[in-house]
Amino acid sequence: MPVSPRGSFDRRRFLTASAGAAATATLSGCAASVDSGNGSGGGGKTITVMTVGEEWDAKTKKSLEKTLGITIRVITYDVTKLNALLSAKTPPDLVRGVGATDTPYFAARGLMTDLDPYIAKSKLLRPTDIAPANDVWRFDGNKQGAGPRYGLARDYSQDCMFWYRADMFEEAGLELPSATEPLSMDEWLDLGKRLTARRLGKVKVYGLSANGMGVMSQLMWMTASAGGSLFADDTATVDFSSPEARKALQWYMDYAKADIGPSLVNPNPDGWDGPTYQAGRMAMSCGGFWFGSVIAGDGKLSEVSRFAPAPQLGSHRVSPIFSGTGFWIPKDAKNKEEAWKLFELHFGGGPAEERAAAGWGMPPLNSLRSKMPQKTAMQKQAYAAQMKELPYFTVLPVSPYAQMDALNGVLSKVLPDAVKSDRAVGKVADALNSRMNEQLDRGKELVG
Amino acid sequence: MSTDQLTGRNAPSVTPPSRVPPGSRRASGLRSRRMRRAGAFYVFTGPWLLGFLALTAYPLGYALWLSFTNSDGLTSHPRFVGLDNYREVFTDQDTLASLARTGLFTAVTVPLTIIAGLFLAVLVNQPIRARGVFRTLIYLPAVVPPVGAALTFKLIFDRDSGSANGLLDMLGVNGVTWLADPYARYVLIMLTLWGTGNVMIISLAGLQDIPRELHDAALVDGASQWQSFTRVTLPLLSPVLFFQVVTGIIATLQTFAPLLISLDPTPQGVSAVPESNNLIMINVFTQYFANSRYGYASALLWVLFLFIMAVTVLVFRLSKGAVFYSVDPEEKKANSRTLGGK
Repeated sequence: MPVSPRGSFDRRRFLTASAGAAATATLSGCAASVDSGNGSGGGGKTITVMTVGEEWDAKTKKSLEKTLGITIRVITYDVTKLNALLSAKTPPDLVRGVGATDTPYFAARGLMTDLDPYIAKSKLLRPTDIAPANDVWRFDGNKQGAGPRYGLARDYSQDCMFWYRADMFEEAGLELPSATEPLSMDEWLDLGKRLTARRLGKVKVYGLSANGMGVMSQLMWMTASAGGSLFADDTATVDFSSPEARKALQWYMDYAKADIGPSLVNPNPDGWDGPTYQAGRMAMSCGGFWFGSVIAGDGKLSEVSRFAPAPQLGSHRVSPIFSGTGFWIPKDAKNKEEAWKLFELHFGGGPAEERAAAGWGMPPLNSLRSKMPQKTAMQKQAYAAQMKELPYFTVLPVSPYAQMDALNGVLSKVLPDAVKSDRAVGKVADALNSRMNEQLDRGKELVG
Repeated sequence: MSTDQLTGRNAPSVTPPSRVPPGSRRASGLRSRRMRRAGAFYVFTGPWLLGFLALTAYPLGYALWLSFTNSDGLTSHPRFVGLDNYREVFTDQDTLASLARTGLFTAVTVPLTIIAGLFLAVLVNQPIRARGVFRTLIYLPAVVPPVGAALTFKLIFDRDSGSANGLLDMLGVNGVTWLADPYARYVLIMLTLWGTGNVMIISLAGLQDIPRELHDAALVDGASQWQSFTRVTLPLLSPVLFFQVVTGIIATLQTFAPLLISLDPTPQGVSAVPESNNLIMINVFTQYFANSRYGYASALLWVLFLFIMAVTVLVFRLSKGAVFYSVDPEEKKANSRTLGGK
């Protein structure tokens, strides 16, 4: 540090040096945020994976590292951190994501790697073996469901199918829903009302939880089932004013008003149905096949639980996927080859077989279906119902111009008040159109 | 005369100390003392300065730049939009409503917290048995991490399985949907009051600093307990209370607690925050991470930053004449001038 002729530090120089040091600290801090995860060290290159903590147990991770000759550093998934890393062009090498909602958003912004060239060369992942559900990870630049593959689902479920408690149906003297023929939405709502138990303004047992993977996706599904579409063909606008969309909106408002299950008006404090269903306080839950693993862990619960097809609002039987959680490789990833090797093994090797056998959703490859659990009566019934439902899968494209969180945010601003004040569905539709299309316009301007 | 003196060069190391004029020695000592003091200053402030530059100045500057763009945080070519985002702040009904809610929330909770904290401090300052236990018990909730407290509140106030409605149930009263509108705001206020132990502990320290003789003198002069409290205690405690008002306002304007008692404190879950708890920071979080409007959200943060500064200045102005320092800062300044200060 230079000393001035006056015998004291030069403050200006000190501040300049401090700023430099601060910048260095900031930049190294950014790098540290990528590398701060736990890597056990398998030698070779280190690849960074952003995922949830329980993606691999220590043994599986070690085995993957040994097989591939790499070191895997896991950093906990955090969407805010992911955005920061992506915009700084220092993304992780492999990222966990929700195929159905993330793909158009990130792909349209040029942030994802096209995996088709890798899949074409792969021995573990054959295009013909990849389940159609993985199409939610495709985006052709305009629409989801076609074009290059940007990821694969580690597992998936047709998220509008539902689980129910047969014992509660029997107790209420109600006929059990069919495992193959869908209920109408009106029948579903009626059953929910009959199965709800109340006391002094409190719901002791919810008859039906119809929230699925979020209200926006539920409305997309119902509108499609009625023969319409919430999004325009180019997904640049929504239209809640069509007869089909209004019918869907009306159904959800009736459901929320009936107060027979968690809704935007009375959200579930747990944030999801699992604990409430397990506690015997919910008769029907709109959760896909993966929810069966939650149930299978409880012997008594699995004895009384059954799986049923996605209900229908109109004449169209559609059973979409709104999650398809899996992985993708960012375009700016530094170790794409190694990331791909891990991806390939994770989706087509031992870990994929283990996941299929655990029953946490449907496996991404058709060839792995035989590994799915079919030991107990519940597992057999769920498997049979799921297999019958597969042909009704369809991709319901979401817009690349706004995140689903933003659209769900609009619904949660508009609907609670509309339900409480009994607002006419037409007015609600207008409010939703105006707010959502404003969001979509802004996104379109950026993406171009 | 030495060579050095002849050439005019300084060579103190070779000059015998006895031959250095006394004035020059004093100047050299003064210089090295100044240098030591400056060194100590930089050593002690350096870490803070680094933190300030990296974690405050840089983000503030970056946010300022973002606020003039339509950035979504991901697209590499955001457009410069000038003051559009700032204009929108003052026309966006959602933002104006969230600002108004935040103002109201601050106006209610800051006085409530300070009054409750002061009341508790006065109570536990009394010569009662086991007052140490009471002090600990009252302070204990302030030690609980906010996330833990929020989770507990969620469980207590759940409509269908919470103990609050369980209590009402026992009384034969209908349950209330506490975590939704319009009751959610009251739960949030209760959650804020939960941390009142912090205010209590600072007020207690202030109370203990007041000399007992002043109260005794007031009583001898015929003052009642209430008069002694309002005329002696409160004026002497006013600097402590003023500090708490200022820090309380700043913290409350930035409160993030509504998200903690929402169902899922993530960009997905932020949509579940009831409208009555949709305070300005919730709006900022939503704009950043759910709506991906980095430019607009940054403008919101800058407006909030300037708003907090303006409110703080206003509070300082209004406090003149209401806050009594045991040593008047102005007087101290004047004294230091007369006593040879610079």
